[in-house]
Amino acid sequence: MENKSVRVIAGAMVVAGWAGYAAAQSASEIKIVLPEQPANLEPCGTIITNVGQILSRNVVEPLTIIDPKSGQPTPGLATEWTQSDPNTWQLKLREGVKFQDGAAFNAEAVKFSIERMTGGKLTCSNIAKFGDAKLTVTPIDDLTVEIKSDKPQPILPTLLSVVMIVSPNTPADKAVNDPVGTGPFKLSSFTPQTVVLEAFDGYWGEKPAIAKASYVWRPESSIRAAMVETGEADLTPSIAIQDATNPETDFAYLNSETTAIRIDAGFAPLDDVRIRKALNLAIDWDGLAQLFGEDVQRASQMVVTGINGHDDKLAPWAFDAERARALIAEAKAAGVPVDTEIELIGRNGIYPNGTEAMEAMMAMWQDVGLNVKLTMLDVNDWLRYLQKPFPESRGPNLLQMMHDNNKGDAAFTVPIFYTSGGSYSTFNDAGLDKEVADAMAATGGDRTAKFKAIFAKVHDELAVDIPMFHMIGYTRMGSRLEWKPDITTNSEIPLANIGVKD
Amino acid sequence: MLGYIGRRAYHSVISVIGLLTLVFFLTRLTGDPSALYLPLDSSLEARQAFARLNGLDQPIYVQFFQYLQNLMSLDFGQSLRQNRSAIDVALEAFPATLKLALVAMTLATVLAIVVGALAAARPRSLFDRIAGLVSLAGASTPDFWIAIVGILVFAVGLGMLPTSGTGTALHWIMPIVVLMLRPFGLLVQVVRGTMISALASPFIKTAHAKGMKRRKIIFGHALRNSLLPVITVAGDLATGLINGAVVVETIFGWPGIGKLMIDSIIQRDFAVVQSTILVTAIAIFIVNIAIDLLYAVLDPRIRY
Repeated sequence: MENKSVRVIAGAMVVAGWAGYAAAQSASEIKIVLPEQPANLEPCGTIITNVGQILSRNVVEPLTIIDPKSGQPTPGLATEWTQSDPNTWQLKLREGVKFQDGAAFNAEAVKFSIERMTGGKLTCSNIAKFGDAKLTVTPIDDLTVEIKSDKPQPILPTLLSVVMIVSPNTPADKAVNDPVGTGPFKLSSFTPQTVVLEAFDGYWGEKPAIAKASYVWRPESSIRAAMVETGEADLTPSIAIQDATNPETDFAYLNSETTAIRIDAGFAPLDDVRIRKALNLAIDWDGLAQLFGEDVQRASQMVVTGINGHDDKLAPWAFDAERARALIAEAKAAGVPVDTEIELIGRNGIYPNGTEAMEAMMAMWQDVGLNVKLTMLDVNDWLRYLQKPFPESRGPNLLQMMHDNNKGDAAFTVPIFYTSGGSYSTFNDAGLDKEVADAMAATGGDRTAKFKAIFAKVHDELAVDIPMFHMIGYTRMGSRLEWKPDITTNSEIPLANIGVKD
Repeated sequence: MLGYIGRRAYHSVISVIGLLTLVFFLTRLTGDPSALYLPLDSSLEARQAFARLNGLDQPIYVQFFQYLQNLMSLDFGQSLRQNRSAIDVALEAFPATLKLALVAMTLATVLAIVVGALAAARPRSLFDRIAGLVSLAGASTPDFWIAIVGILVFAVGLGMLPTSGTGTALHWIMPIVVLMLRPFGLLVQVVRGTMISALASPFIKTAHAKGMKRRKIIFGHALRNSLLPVITVAGDLATGLINGAVVVETIFGWPGIGKLMIDSIIQRDFAVVQSTILVTAIAIFIVNIAIDLLYAVLDPRIRY
């Protein structure tokens, strides 16, 4: 009798468990599995991947949206903009928009959001895109707002793509986990296991096909891939190349990341341009590409196609070991200490096969006669070498790095890498500083041409760094969804763009 | 008994304060959290503002005394990552680990006692050899390997179990099996060894001579006398499970304290690291006290 009871209870538990596990979700509900748990749901942190992929253009919306193809700002909550003088822009706001808590969207709400972002009372990652600019926001009328900056901001509409507009009822002095915006989805719940978004009935735009989206997170790429394969999840934006094995569900896409090696030009022999060129020429790029997958693209500059300033015509360095050896010999004859040990600093886990790539490059540099030794560091130690102030004890070094720019303009790349004051820059060249300042102040075609000229100069003439590849992301998507990832997928997955087949 | 518990509590409080002090300084040695919390291209001013906002601009001894002062008023600090009370974050994650560890440890102990005792009853039999092989494999196979293979076979291949997560009874099966294999394997070895010694004791021979049934001799007499070392090992393994379910929690997306601790260390979320250490230290103290008290129950010669 006792044994029978135990069997009945156990059987009931398993059946109940199976029923719960197998319960089909509604056709308009989807589950997305992300690599990381969002640290919080503060709208001022949407440039952080795991926050932006949930909130951006779903719960909160920006004033402008960057077109992934052209890199140009397009209307978001602002419908048009004009520049009245180099320091002043005027924006017309969208009519008929309301926040998910019922508050009105107007010029005052825009002023509140911008001042909340720039006020310094909360940790706001997005403000980093504005540098040290000081903004003054003045409502002109209910749907017109004027933004003045303390110095010219020729790409203010582009910069405004990172300003997420939040309800005026949001606390101005602390980060929040219950964001309220104007987007097509409102936050339903946020627990240590999941974030749930539900469609917002009062949305100003077209009603999305998805009614409810749940986000979960699993750090293991193979688990994320398995979840989509078994139907436990519908979409994962990122899986490792070795897990992208099913051509029917797995899609490669050019993301906005570029991998490169920074050359620390402050030390001999790396302060000699011949050695820097030799470093670029010594790599068998076709061979190295095997480690990055067949869809990877060779890079000649630190931004991808579609970013204003990218030059399609700028040719990457070709593999020419003989020329590399000749340049090293020429430098040696001129007294450059080419035998000095050069530390190649890699970062553990930076991308799949990242360590193998560093080992291969070290061997290729050694082959042409350079004394390169590899050190792999974890992210915390690696960051010390990436950003100023650099460790005083460092010597000549090459740093493995990856840069992500999906914000439409080379302004988010060039100053930090190539100016004397740039936080990643080891290069001091007054002429280049002036060229960068000119490009930053320019507009339109002139701006594009000036950034192209800078990329050409740092690549062909100065050989400041070693651009490697524009990286490929892999996504896995269940067969009932229709969606295409693009270079913005690292920072947003707009649910309104996802179609459901059944 | 109460006096004993009081003395143990007193010593544990001193140990925990020492531990928290050590953790405080070790976490600060890992570097400045602003490098992780702010974008890489943040200005120096932004990083300085972040440090100021979170009290990280003060000299380390000032930060430490501030921390001690806050502890006196049960203020364990704010999570930099989650922007709320660090102790709340730790306490929220702890039950998930506790439940997992409790079920896994109970199953592992019960199964190991049965298997170990039966193996000891017939040394070198086929059952003993199989039990030895299985327990050795269970104790020595890496958790992450079993977890990944389990997912590939039972979730992807057979579609019987969910890959990960929580929510239904089925979600528990793989994490529990993976978590219990190591303690099960080790405990089978311990039970078998101590049981073989106990079965060779004079009092067992006397019981045989009196004509007592073999089953009662094994489970009623020999086992009871073999349990003290088993409990000692099981106690150590249980505290290890509370603290060390990191791999299982990470792979299966189980929202427990082990994963939280590792995430917080990686993210330099100092207050949460300290709170997870505090919560697990108290849990381990309670488990140890419970084991000591269990000794007295099982062996009447032990008194506190």
